[in-house]
Amino acid sequence: MLWVAVHLPLLSLESFAATLPAAAANQPLALMDAHRIVNANAAAQLLGVKPGLKRATALALAPHLTLAQADARRDEEALNAVVHTSLAFTPSVTIQPVNDAVGAEQTSPDTVLLEVQASLRYFGGLQSLLLRLQRALAPLGHRLHLANAPTALGAALLARVHRRFDAADLAVTQRALDAAPAWLLGSARAHWEALQGMGLRTLADLRCLPRSGVARRFSAALLDELDRAYGNAPDPRVSIVLPPVFDSRLELFARADTTEQVLHGAGLLLDRLIAWLTAQHAFVRRFTLVMQHEPRWRRDAQTPGETPLELALAEPSRERAHLLGLLRERLARFELPAPTLELRLHADDIAKRAPPNTELFPTARSEREGLLRLIERLQARLGHERVQCLAAVDDHRPELATVARAADAQAVCRAQAVAASRPAQAGPAAVDYDNAEPAPGVKVRPVWLFNEGEPLQERDAKPLLEGQPLDLLSGPERIESGWWDMRLVERDYFIAQLPDGALVWIYRTRQLASNPRPGWFLQGRFG
Amino acid sequence: MDLLPPAATALPASRLPPPARHQPLRQVLREAPHTLHPTLWLGHQLGRQADTTCASGFAALDAQLPGGGWPRRALSELLLRQSGIGEIRLLSPCLTAIQRSGRLVMLFDPPATLSAWALAQLGFEVEQLLIINTRTKALPSGDSLWALEQALKSGHVGAVLAWLPPRLRAERLRRIQLAAHAHDGPAFVLREMAAAERPTAAPLRLALRPAGADALGVRLLKRRGPPLETALRLALPPVLSSPVREHARASVDQRAATPLHGATFINLAGLL
Repeated sequence: MLWVAVHLPLLSLESFAATLPAAAANQPLALMDAHRIVNANAAAQLLGVKPGLKRATALALAPHLTLAQADARRDEEALNAVVHTSLAFTPSVTIQPVNDAVGAEQTSPDTVLLEVQASLRYFGGLQSLLLRLQRALAPLGHRLHLANAPTALGAALLARVHRRFDAADLAVTQRALDAAPAWLLGSARAHWEALQGMGLRTLADLRCLPRSGVARRFSAALLDELDRAYGNAPDPRVSIVLPPVFDSRLELFARADTTEQVLHGAGLLLDRLIAWLTAQHAFVRRFTLVMQHEPRWRRDAQTPGETPLELALAEPSRERAHLLGLLRERLARFELPAPTLELRLHADDIAKRAPPNTELFPTARSEREGLLRLIERLQARLGHERVQCLAAVDDHRPELATVARAADAQAVCRAQAVAASRPAQAGPAAVDYDNAEPAPGVKVRPVWLFNEGEPLQERDAKPLLEGQPLDLLSGPERIESGWWDMRLVERDYFIAQLPDGALVWIYRTRQLASNPRPGWFLQGRFG
Repeated sequence: MDLLPPAATALPASRLPPPARHQPLRQVLREAPHTLHPTLWLGHQLGRQADTTCASGFAALDAQLPGGGWPRRALSELLLRQSGIGEIRLLSPCLTAIQRSGRLVMLFDPPATLSAWALAQLGFEVEQLLIINTRTKALPSGDSLWALEQALKSGHVGAVLAWLPPRLRAERLRRIQLAAHAHDGPAFVLREMAAAERPTAAPLRLALRPAGADALGVRLLKRRGPPLETALRLALPPVLSSPVREHARASVDQRAATPLHGATFINLAGLL
């Protein structure tokens, strides 16, 4: 058994700093609990703010101090992200519980334990596994202490003391534990004054005492912890099971009025989502970012209490840059109905399949994926209905014969792949069109159509376009159709020529009593 | 001293013209400097393209374009006074060939609705065209240039046909021309005729105007080579049958052949 302990000494401060805008992370920060400072970052400690001070004292020392309440739930969410990242390396991951003790300064768990003996061979040794673990945890932005030891509790204790500790075997661990201070043990903290009075500072001192005496004088739990840390008693742990659905909240420190401020918080939630996905080797297909609005900031009762922003991907992915880019494009176009203070990211539509293969030379497959990403990006920024495909409809009425639909990125790329797999064909042959004829039996249609015919003026029974008389060349083609959906058209179509030679398609509505607007209209141009 | 500069010798042998290795460099520079690299040309010659070009389907136009066709990895600017004079029919042979070879053709901001039947008659695969509309009802938005740049930079699109907003600033067009270097295919931008007075970053610029029924007058305003004084008259894929076309062209010629003389009396009463 080889346990790796990941200890986050500044978890509360870092989880709080994540809710602030990026620029404010280096300012003096402090966390309070019941009007007393419990935690202060390096910048604040330089100014003299220490745990235990009262709020007024701290503000007098550092007027620009940013204060906030210590929040156990916020710390738990941040720790969960670390747990999910570690689950990609081994299935046995557990959190070191906090021992309840009077006057303990830690209120929430901040150490994650991984059992990695079974994963060593796959990752190529302990050092490379630790390196990959550090790299995987780097985006979360926490300060880490790493320690590994044959016992779980031993590794957890040593991680609190040393920044990096590698134990070759149990004997080395026991020697290192001997030098560790006694207040590390949760159950020893309650008796700290007594221990100090007796001159027992390190764990080695505790071990030298007779066992029955220690049990009687302090508690049996202290002995039990000592035994478990030194490997003399078994220490079974229950592994954490990954939740089936991802749901994470983030409360922003300052209310967000614009979508750029939302992006910073949303980036952190995306990091957690990617950690959760990596743990189960899956990819996300769609996720929803929900922005909560407080009632007091809503302009009126019609503004909803929360605004969901759903992002659906054409191809499942878990790349941070890709997802963040898409979210940024959507947020840039999005208008917040009211200021928001809390963000929530929800994802339950995931796909488990092999990741895309990144190849050196462009192949048909990578070109298809690149095309898919491009269409996705355009749809994310412009909106789905702006990226269109045309389809021909069997209708005689020209304005209804073409329908433009929102493009389906997958279908387009699939058809491209099919077309690309056909044998290569030669370029366009140079044809002499001077003596060519249009295809027989096919009705010619202009490339450019106006949905509503533009009315034309008439002079001497000849239609005028922009003051120029039109010469009727070809026609009439009678189109009478559409009696079934109340859009009856009864028109005679002609191909006409402008004085400079351009061809246009015009029609004349027939002189019937049922026709409201008789006259000439311009329907299209031959482009 | 007798050696060619290192950059030239680094080229693959198949691309180099017949070797001038045995002549001193000064002599080569004096007599035939365009043989040093495939993309160099003299002022009176028509430029050569390092990349292959895309044949336009019109022999008269191909003879005048540098490289014998539409250039790849660069913008080709077409200036029109009014859309609907035959520009799609001019580009259809090249674009349909690109579609047949299995690459995507994208259209940006077409000025009016396209007719799927007409495009199918010209040879396009209508389901495989992608149309991006970036204009909102009120104003042309800045998204049109962003979308065009994204499509060009991705390098996966086969051909691009874009209608640019009017009065486009020169540095914006230059930025799109730089993005086109990553795009392996022709990129056509259509602009208003008034842009002819301002310089452009695109290496090829054509002015189009109608020249009769089913015919297009093309003037090459800018190309990599000597300027072309005369305008070309290209016959487009026809819409009218031959006898109608002859009659139409005859009537246009007749109208063009009767200009107004110095002191002609125009009866205004007859026009009202």
